[in-house]
Amino acid sequence: MIIRMAKVELVGPKDDLMGVLDLLRERGTFQPDPLLFGREASVEADLPRTLVLGPEEMHERVFFVELRARVAELLALLPDVPEPQAALQPLPVVDVLHELVDRHLALARSQAEELRGLREEVAALAGALNFWTALAPLWEELPPESNLELFGVTIRDPQQRTVLEEVLREHLGGRCQLSSTLAEDGTLVGLIACERAMAAPLRAALTSERVPELPLPAAVAGLPLAQRISALRALLAERRAALAAGEETLAALGREWRPVYRRALEWLDERLTLYGATSAVYATTRCFVLQGWLAAGEAAPLRERLHQAFAGRVLLEELAILDEELERVPVQLRNPAYFQPFEIFSRLLPLPRYTSFDPTPFIGVFFPVLFGMMLGDVGYGAVLFAIAAPLARRGRGLAGDLGKVLGVAAVYAMFFGVLFGELFGDLGRRWLDLHPWWVERTEAIVPTMLFATSVGVAHVLFGLLLGVWSDWRQHRGREALLRLGLLLVVLLLALVGLGRIFPTPWLATGPLLVGVAVLLPVLSAAGGLLAPLELLKTLGNIISYVRIMAIGLSSALLAVVANQLGGEVGNLLLGILVAGILHAFNLLLGVFAPTVHALRLHYVEFFSKFLDLGGRRFEPFGRAPRSPHEGRQ
Amino acid sequence: MDKVWIAFAAALAVGLPAIATAWAQSRIGAAGAGTLAEKPELTGTIIILVAIPETMVILGFVVAAMILLL
Repeated sequence: MIIRMAKVELVGPKDDLMGVLDLLRERGTFQPDPLLFGREASVEADLPRTLVLGPEEMHERVFFVELRARVAELLALLPDVPEPQAALQPLPVVDVLHELVDRHLALARSQAEELRGLREEVAALAGALNFWTALAPLWEELPPESNLELFGVTIRDPQQRTVLEEVLREHLGGRCQLSSTLAEDGTLVGLIACERAMAAPLRAALTSERVPELPLPAAVAGLPLAQRISALRALLAERRAALAAGEETLAALGREWRPVYRRALEWLDERLTLYGATSAVYATTRCFVLQGWLAAGEAAPLRERLHQAFAGRVLLEELAILDEELERVPVQLRNPAYFQPFEIFSRLLPLPRYTSFDPTPFIGVFFPVLFGMMLGDVGYGAVLFAIAAPLARRGRGLAGDLGKVLGVAAVYAMFFGVLFGELFGDLGRRWLDLHPWWVERTEAIVPTMLFATSVGVAHVLFGLLLGVWSDWRQHRGREALLRLGLLLVVLLLALVGLGRIFPTPWLATGPLLVGVAVLLPVLSAAGGLLAPLELLKTLGNIISYVRIMAIGLSSALLAVVANQLGGEVGNLLLGILVAGILHAFNLLLGVFAPTVHALRLHYVEFFSKFLDLGGRRFEPFGRAPRSPHEGRQ
Repeated sequence: MDKVWIAFAAALAVGLPAIATAWAQSRIGAAGAGTLAEKPELTGTIIILVAIPETMVILGFVVAAMILLL
């Protein structure tokens, strides 16, 4: 249901404005709407005009914005450790906080910078250690000549090694040696040994071939080859220890101060929200005026609360909603517990306008009936109910809601299954001598088709009736007349059809068609050239309900085929398996197809007759954006 | 021979609209999928648009049933 909204105006002294906004933010029931206040700004007379913050408030706001930025930066630098909730009231200590945050931010920045350098160094050292550990066996094979220069390189793939060998042969005439091996991390690494005199041309050749030479840390570069690895290990251990100590220092700072700054950030956000809300306020030199929306039932409690908090200085007055403002009224939906799960389907549609209807109750009433008509099998209904029941126990949420919707739909499927005498198709008839209470769908095709059409007539007529009412309420006379004309024409044509099936003097074709002929000019007058199109569309909508019978028939026939195939296998267990698989497939289709088509009948055929979509979501000030459906996020 | 023609007519009555519906839904569905990637809030509208051509095949089914049964 669409909650009735009230348009209210709050008036009070300007000094109380921030207090009032804070109270409204806490309650989270009021949506300010500055556009409601239609009076033009005036600088000549003391009439309400858009509130402009004074120098003191502006200074305070800038102060809070800057403080918030620094607190947010500090929180981003501090490591994310489990933190208790701080019961801090930041306002009295905001100046202390302002000084503290600077000191802590400087400390955290330098610590973070130092840690970043250490991390980079540790990564480089670990890579170098990995590299030189892999190369150690290679240089042990080299002759112990003192004038050898060694180059460590990373090789992309074996193909590049071949290319590299050719380059070395070309540039150095073979006066060098390339050895390669796999490092622990799977990288192919190479060691090139050459005379010191050839080092410069070799380095140039490596650069031109884009073969990266692994740099060696300066601390170990001058050491003899044999000592490099142990020196690298020692250096890496030292840097890792320094890194751990630095991280612990930052974590200790976070453990001590993070809860305080987290609470401060929340408080600053709340405070800045209040300043943001002042843009919706109008003011004179001494008073403020704020207009907006809230649920009609919330007006009296809010008035009482304002009276208590501000000793009668702030007044709340309910204003009449003008016709031209109806488009602006925000929409909030609230449904009884039975209908709430069906909101998963109504949420697929845009929000209805305030003057229209909430589609949820209509889906809640008609969807399970249409679903049951299509599935219409006691066995399938029972299986579906058994699947839906555990899902429904999960409470609110998509799975829980789906479980509840399917549970209700399954009950209707069982009910229509009894009417059609179906239990897993014709299995009930063959094994349990089950007979239909009404018709057998697989044989009585024409009666079920007429039944489906009758359902369509009733559903579409109901939609048209709601449309007439909706148009009438909104003073749309021509639209109301067009819908009323369509309703009467469809009703008369339906009676003509009924008279043909059950001939009685009360349903004589002639007078009924005369009635249609009389109504056609009325339709044309109300709808113009589009009226005949509307009539054809409405008749097409009604015929569309034949899908109820068509989908039901295909489901019933598939079940019969499953039973026949199972019976023809010749082996009991294998037959049960074959029939079971086919029935499972049919049940899957039997859930999917009726759901989609029942929804389509609502969205296209039914709702198009009366539903006005495109409403504004009710977004109360101070509360995070949420679903317009009350009671759920 | 009459039965053959009746069956053939019924098959045409439901088959041709089915092909037309499939073609229309393929075009609308592809465009709808692209739309949903950018605006998921239009799910309901897209479902409606995809479902609209189904009426053709339902009308074809009704005509086929009338050919066969009446």
